[in-house]
Amino acid sequence: MRLPGLLRLIVRNFASNVDPAAMMIRFGQPAFLVVILGTMFSGLVSPSATSSGSYMAFLVPGAIAFQMVAGGVIAGNLFWLDRRWSMVEQIFVGPFRRAEYLASLILTALVFSLVGVGIMVVVALPFIGLPSLTLPELGVVLATIALGGIFFSTFLIGLGTQLRSANTYFTIQSFVQLFVVFLSTVYYPITDKTPKVLVDVLYCNPLTYAATAVRDAFEGQVGAPVYAALGILSGLCLLTFVLATWGFRTMEPGAVQ
Amino acid sequence: MPPELVIEAKDLGYSYAPGRFAIRHLDLALQRGEVLGLLGRNGAGKTTTVRVLTTLLPPTEGTATVLGQDVRTAGPTLRGQVGVVLQTEAFDFVSVERNLTLYAFMWGVPREAAKSRAEEMIELFELEKFRHRKPWSLSGGERRRLQVARELMHDMQVLFLDEPTAGLDAIARRRILGYIRKRAREGLSVVFTTHIMHEADLLCDRIAILHEGRLFATESPREFKRRFGGARMVTIEFDQPLHSKRAALERLLGEDGVEAKETAWDEQGVSFTSKRPEAEVARVSAWATQAGVDISRIDVREATLEEAFLGAIGFPSAFADEISEGE
Repeated sequence: MRLPGLLRLIVRNFASNVDPAAMMIRFGQPAFLVVILGTMFSGLVSPSATSSGSYMAFLVPGAIAFQMVAGGVIAGNLFWLDRRWSMVEQIFVGPFRRAEYLASLILTALVFSLVGVGIMVVVALPFIGLPSLTLPELGVVLATIALGGIFFSTFLIGLGTQLRSANTYFTIQSFVQLFVVFLSTVYYPITDKTPKVLVDVLYCNPLTYAATAVRDAFEGQVGAPVYAALGILSGLCLLTFVLATWGFRTMEPGAVQ
Repeated sequence: MPPELVIEAKDLGYSYAPGRFAIRHLDLALQRGEVLGLLGRNGAGKTTTVRVLTTLLPPTEGTATVLGQDVRTAGPTLRGQVGVVLQTEAFDFVSVERNLTLYAFMWGVPREAAKSRAEEMIELFELEKFRHRKPWSLSGGERRRLQVARELMHDMQVLFLDEPTAGLDAIARRRILGYIRKRAREGLSVVFTTHIMHEADLLCDRIAILHEGRLFATESPREFKRRFGGARMVTIEFDQPLHSKRAALERLLGEDGVEAKETAWDEQGVSFTSKRPEAEVARVSAWATQAGVDISRIDVREATLEEAFLGAIGFPSAFADEISEGE
């Protein structure tokens, strides 16, 4: 029996573009950061500064939320490398719809994000134990990762449809990743001492909403702020999805530099 | 029963920007089992034509159907019956062998069939040595062989080949052309673009000449050569030196109504160019009988497809002469 085109493309995305060394670095780096940052900053950050009681308990949900960025970057890079090596063009003349290829990239990103979440949970086990989430709380975590994964993957794919230079793409991607990670609440909380301008910037960042939602779910506080965060993420997701779809429909799939 | 058309384009056009047409007013037809060569200079519109017919670009003018389906609205069903070897290199980041089997998987070829077909392609395209290597570690010609082999991993009714033999050595080219010819005899319809005219002459049932986005001619290579080949080179050798008889033959070839140009002599023969070589050969034969000289060899060289192509697109002959002298 022949698998549907979407599944064949997802399998191909994994088989073709998953370099084990790159994957180890991509997943190992955040895990490494959790261990090092968690250990070192625990001595610096006052427990009262975080709502979680310890810096490690504060950091882990943030690092889990960050996995949506990691998944998005993988999807964006997959798409860009496919463009660079003319596989986008080859797939577009194959037995697939363009929408199937876009969906395959997004789903590949989501699988990577979920694997990353699993790794974070395992790495954090010795420090905070196994999170005891209720079903709705688990749902919030998964929904946040899914929405964030779709947002970042469609954002980077949309960007990739409009560019014709690898140099430009990877420069913008690195800048966005840096901005998103360090101007979010993944590694540090917003306190009374945080400058107002910086607070405003932090709240322009989708990762801040994702970190807030996951953190609140870990702390058993699923309420209005979480739903608001999910709502904002959904809106952003819809926007970037529409942009990526438009980019796919109008892009010139020929080779790029 | 009329031949089955697998591709039909009428007044087809594509413009990359308003008023900037890459191709325009193209009328094309391809029958089942036929090999059509798209020839033309760089930028003539060959690749654009392939991209429109393979649904990568929507036509901006006219209509085109492939296997009866409009290329504007055709989806995976049509593309599932068409193979395309792009001009640009396209690979997955896996070994040569895995590129073949993974591509077959993408096309839904069953695993066992994919494995045996991969072995067939590895042998046919001489990829055994590189089986476990990644495509980017291969030479340009080896990568091209892999790309063509990969496209042949799945079943299809129409195959588009955009310069498939670019960068290949003579043996690899012959193997690929031979295989395509064999598949065409089995019913595969092929659209083939190339700059190597000799290949088109060997492979194609018909050729379509594109010049500045317009279709210049569509006919068999033989007809095309006859129409645009211009004068042919005639060489006649005699069984003995002509000596004093040469003057009489010179007079004959210089008479009004005789179309013999660029005449060159040697001790036992003459060569000249003529647009009607049959008439001139008959005339020289009659003269030889009368002069008591036997003809030992007559050679009338056909115009090559390249010469006909250059003649058709108006390549200045003076420049062609310079090239010949340079060689």
